[in-house]
Amino acid sequence: MSTFMQLFLRSLETGSIYALAALGIIIVFRTSNITHFAQGALGTFNTFVVAILFTNYRFPLWAAILAGILSAFVMGLMVDYFIIRRAKKIAPIAKQIITLGMVLVIVGVTAISFGLDPFILPKLFPKGDVMIAGASISINGLFNIGFGLVLMGILFVILQKTKWGLAVRTTASNEFTARLMGVPTRNVTMIAWALAGVLGVLAGVMYAPLNRVDAGMLDYVQISALVACVLGGFQSFHGPIIGAYILAIAKNLMSFYWSDVWAEQLVLIAVLIFIIFRPNGIIGRKIVKKV
Amino acid sequence: MIKKLSSYKKGQPLIKNAYMSYALFGLFLALMPLFGYLGIIKSSYVTIIASVIYYSIAALGLNVLLGWTGLISLGTAGFMGLAAYISAYITYNMHLPFEIALVTAVVVSTLLGVLVGYISLRIEGIYLAIATLAVAEILRKTFEVFDPFTGGASGKPISYPTLFFFYKYSRADLKIFETLLYLILVLFLIAVMILVHNLMKGQVGRALNALRGSEAAAQAMGINLLKYRLFAFGFASATASLAGVLYVHYNRYTNPDRWLLALSLNLVAAIIIGGVRNIYGTILGVFIVVATKDMVLAQIPYFANNPNFALMFNGILIILIILYYPYGLIRIGADLKKLVVKIKEKF
Repeated sequence: MSTFMQLFLRSLETGSIYALAALGIIIVFRTSNITHFAQGALGTFNTFVVAILFTNYRFPLWAAILAGILSAFVMGLMVDYFIIRRAKKIAPIAKQIITLGMVLVIVGVTAISFGLDPFILPKLFPKGDVMIAGASISINGLFNIGFGLVLMGILFVILQKTKWGLAVRTTASNEFTARLMGVPTRNVTMIAWALAGVLGVLAGVMYAPLNRVDAGMLDYVQISALVACVLGGFQSFHGPIIGAYILAIAKNLMSFYWSDVWAEQLVLIAVLIFIIFRPNGIIGRKIVKKV
Repeated sequence: MIKKLSSYKKGQPLIKNAYMSYALFGLFLALMPLFGYLGIIKSSYVTIIASVIYYSIAALGLNVLLGWTGLISLGTAGFMGLAAYISAYITYNMHLPFEIALVTAVVVSTLLGVLVGYISLRIEGIYLAIATLAVAEILRKTFEVFDPFTGGASGKPISYPTLFFFYKYSRADLKIFETLLYLILVLFLIAVMILVHNLMKGQVGRALNALRGSEAAAQAMGINLLKYRLFAFGFASATASLAGVLYVHYNRYTNPDRWLLALSLNLVAAIIIGGVRNIYGTILGVFIVVATKDMVLAQIPYFANNPNFALMFNGILIILIILYYPYGLIRIGADLKKLVVKIKEKF
């Protein structure tokens, strides 16, 4: 039981990381109808910013993280202002390709500005373990789980209760009508991209201590987040988050109890089979296609 | 003949017959090793041109899917890798001839591609790219961990295969085999070009165009969605796997790092940059994405030290072309001509 608990807590930690990345993707998707393939690349760039400030400029970790969040926010605004705004009228598939192009640009810029050498980013809370129901988890891990949940909770309250949240939700449901009703959809979309950037760098900073900071560090997080969106369904804000946790738990349990080598592939195959039977995900409404 | 040449009008393509132009293009490519031997081009360029050729084969198939059918696949690298490993296993570990390996690898990967195509019927637009991404990730992870078959992360070195069922490789024939495999590459490229040309000018192409325009309208006209979707996916994975087989036997080495998402992205980039739904455009795009880095930018010291500029450059090109020049760089010659004529008329 304690092993199971241990695995479960570990999964919650990685699940939070996937969930934050997935939330960024879904917010962008709902407001500007673009699948954000560059989420991982943007997050990696800004995690590099954090790592450079921490390692080379001797910033304290929290200050470096704050600077990273700021840079992510600004980059999100820039992406929207310089690229996405100009792509309003083009076909959805071409928009997807634009974000793929953004991946190449950002990966290139990352390598040019920070070099190819990996960095190490320490945990926010370097020491200490807590016992929960016979399983031990580091304070940092516990903080990641809690922080992820609290942050998502706050975002949901904002989405449901505030004027800004209402603006996001109306833009998501129909951008054209929202604009007619006086919702500043341009600003909503811009903030959505900035928010996605911030969620990306948070996922990056949480993920970095488990791994290291290098060019491909968030590739797997990016794929998991996208798959989580598919699993949960693109039609709601909470579906992808549920999907992210399911994905993380399924993968960890499977790699422990079944096969370390094949767990990842089996989980992905299971998701593919699942979407054949439920194409709109766990919490998905059917997308009505108009002729 | 002279009469024919003199009847050439301005604005017409120089070579009217498309097959003739493909054949001449093939001949030109086939002469590259000779040029390299004579010192007209650097002999290292032959290897780069070979890489343009095998990536072009994959990109042409992907263009049928992306350009004509209007579906994104991010699984190209995965299919290429799968075919590369299967064929390498057959020629190197089982000592069977190249042709058997080629057929087996292409058939297996194509079947997998058709299966993905079948999934694509159930899921729509946005999901599809992610589903193919998931397939590519499944394959990539398998290449990494399935050691007995793939050699794991350290890669799988192989030797040249037995060609035409009888011609066994020995070290003395190194140059001959290199050239032979290069010629096989050219032959396959021209074959795929002609195949794509014929298919897309014919009934299949019209059906795909109709489906891209409106699935509902096309189905109402009696076009079978299932059949053509499966065809497009099958064709794209067949060319990708062909490219993978050629890749591994030309380079005699493969490892999991060759088959990452970056490769699939670069192939998509090549199509967009060169020109969607355009055969020469695809090849131009692959040339820009794959070869300019090594052949042009490497001459300029600054870029030689910063190879990642090429990556950024490709990304910027994709975004700019999608936003402002959607038919790709293959049109640039014609458009410049028009511009010159316009300016001339003004003065």
